[in-house]
Amino acid sequence: MRRWRAACLVALIAACAAPAPERGSPAQARLGEAEARAAALARSGDYAGAARFYGEALRIATSLENADAIAANAINLSIVEQWLGRDAEARAALAAVLDEPRAAFTERRKTQAELRRAILEAASGNLGAAEVWAGEAERRCATSCEYAAAILNVRAQLALDSGHAAEAARLAAAAFERARGEAGRAEAANALRALGRARNAAGQPGRALEPLRQALEIDRSLGDPRKILVDLTELARAADAAGDAQAARGYQERGLAVSRAINDGRSAAETEVLLRR
Amino acid sequence: MSVALPPGRFSRLVLKVNVFLLIALALVAAFLGLVAYKQGWFVRQSPLHFVTLNALGINKGMPVKLHGFTIGQVSELKLAEGGVDVQLSIVSEYLRRIPQGSHARHAREAGVIGTAVIDIVPGEGTLPLAEGALIQFEPARGISEIIDDFRRQAMPAFNEVKQAMSQVGRSGEDLKAILAALRLEVEQLPATHRSVRKLVEEATKATTELSQRAGATLAATERVAHGVDRAWPALSEKLNASIESIDAAAVQLKRTGVQAEATLRDARPLLDHSETAAREAGDVLSAAKRVWPLSDTFKDASDGMLPIDSFEAQGKGRVR
Repeated sequence: MRRWRAACLVALIAACAAPAPERGSPAQARLGEAEARAAALARSGDYAGAARFYGEALRIATSLENADAIAANAINLSIVEQWLGRDAEARAALAAVLDEPRAAFTERRKTQAELRRAILEAASGNLGAAEVWAGEAERRCATSCEYAAAILNVRAQLALDSGHAAEAARLAAAAFERARGEAGRAEAANALRALGRARNAAGQPGRALEPLRQALEIDRSLGDPRKILVDLTELARAADAAGDAQAARGYQERGLAVSRAINDGRSAAETEVLLRR
Repeated sequence: MSVALPPGRFSRLVLKVNVFLLIALALVAAFLGLVAYKQGWFVRQSPLHFVTLNALGINKGMPVKLHGFTIGQVSELKLAEGGVDVQLSIVSEYLRRIPQGSHARHAREAGVIGTAVIDIVPGEGTLPLAEGALIQFEPARGISEIIDDFRRQAMPAFNEVKQAMSQVGRSGEDLKAILAALRLEVEQLPATHRSVRKLVEEATKATTELSQRAGATLAATERVAHGVDRAWPALSEKLNASIESIDAAAVQLKRTGVQAEATLRDARPLLDHSETAAREAGDVLSAAKRVWPLSDTFKDASDGMLPIDSFEAQGKGRVR
């Protein structure tokens, strides 16, 4: 009996044991350093610098044939390039994952890349291409996939842009259902915003106000001024369409203040035009 | 001489060999099946075709793309009436995404350079294409055609430049008139010279007056200097005392610096020890973080990834 206990203890210790921390080769160290610097620059708002380091990290990862690092850095590079307004470069970055059928990328990375491509195409107004890539991501993503809500939100956005308000509302509601946990709060807010816009487009501005207010609450807690501005603009439109001119004016003035604060001249001009009406 | 074998060693040998062969056969079949699956032999393909006058640059196996997404490949090329009949194999699942009125074109992934592909340009129709349908084909433009196009567009600009140059040439005639005017100006130079001389004489007179006034100013300055001379000894003594106290302070500071250096030298091994200990503690902590059951607690939630946010699909992402 004592022998069995000792054997069990040894097995347990062996199971818990972890390998000593790997120091890695100089190239691996450079890869880690480039990734860390890119992330720090992206956090500090230096997107051009972040793009440079993500590009460097992608180059090193490719030289090491590290499939996961290639995919991660390609996707991050595409995000930063899109933030810089360089859609062609963002698309080219994703080609490292999407146009390499032989590389051993995980299903998760492929889903991320396809979702990013769908987002890029939708942002550029290529609705057909966006639909194809969102379909591919959805096919790969099981029901419980962490990107299910984001994919449904992109599809809701596409339906809204194609003039199918009812379909957009259905997809947005489904996205809200799938957006769970702390990580899903941003997508939950996106789903509520899409739902509000869809209801407004369907001629139900009164029913659009509640989801838009909820989206605004979440976006304020997340602290993203771009989304707060869009929420306030949509709320102003819905309140105006619902015949509540005073509330609409209140939302417009708040939107104008946010817009001026984030120095978005274009949105400020749009809001001022709305206010003058 | 025969060696006695242990009894039962080769018993049921045929059966064992057969089982071994069967397992090997099964493994080979599984491998072939896997290869076939990976090559897409089990995926149902639908044919489409087009006829082109010139199939240069089109090869068997070339990818067929829709919106940049690979949906099939060129399966066959054969000589037909009026050109080459190019057969495309499209994954049946994607055929419904190709509307009627779509056409194919020969394109490259990055403009003029890059991998050559057959790009399907979607048409305006609402119904999908039928299997085996004939579609239109737009051949790639050659370098000579691109140059011709460029020449056609650039020619008007070149003509305008030529016209402008001829106008510049004509303006040379105006040069004679300019030279004549210049000669007239040169003839008037002696008069100008006389005027300048007069100006210089007046300036000399003004300078004499100025030097007289400067003499008075110098006398006043001399008086001030005398005052400073009287005050200087007292000021000098005070300055001397200040310099001495600064000197004493500097000596004290130097002594303190030497003591601090000695203290630091003594503390150096201690610091090295602390650094080593901190590094080792870091290693231990990172190892501990990776050991079950702590690994789940310390898992990096962000995975080093920037957020993939569907909000960017609205085209607002760039306004950050």
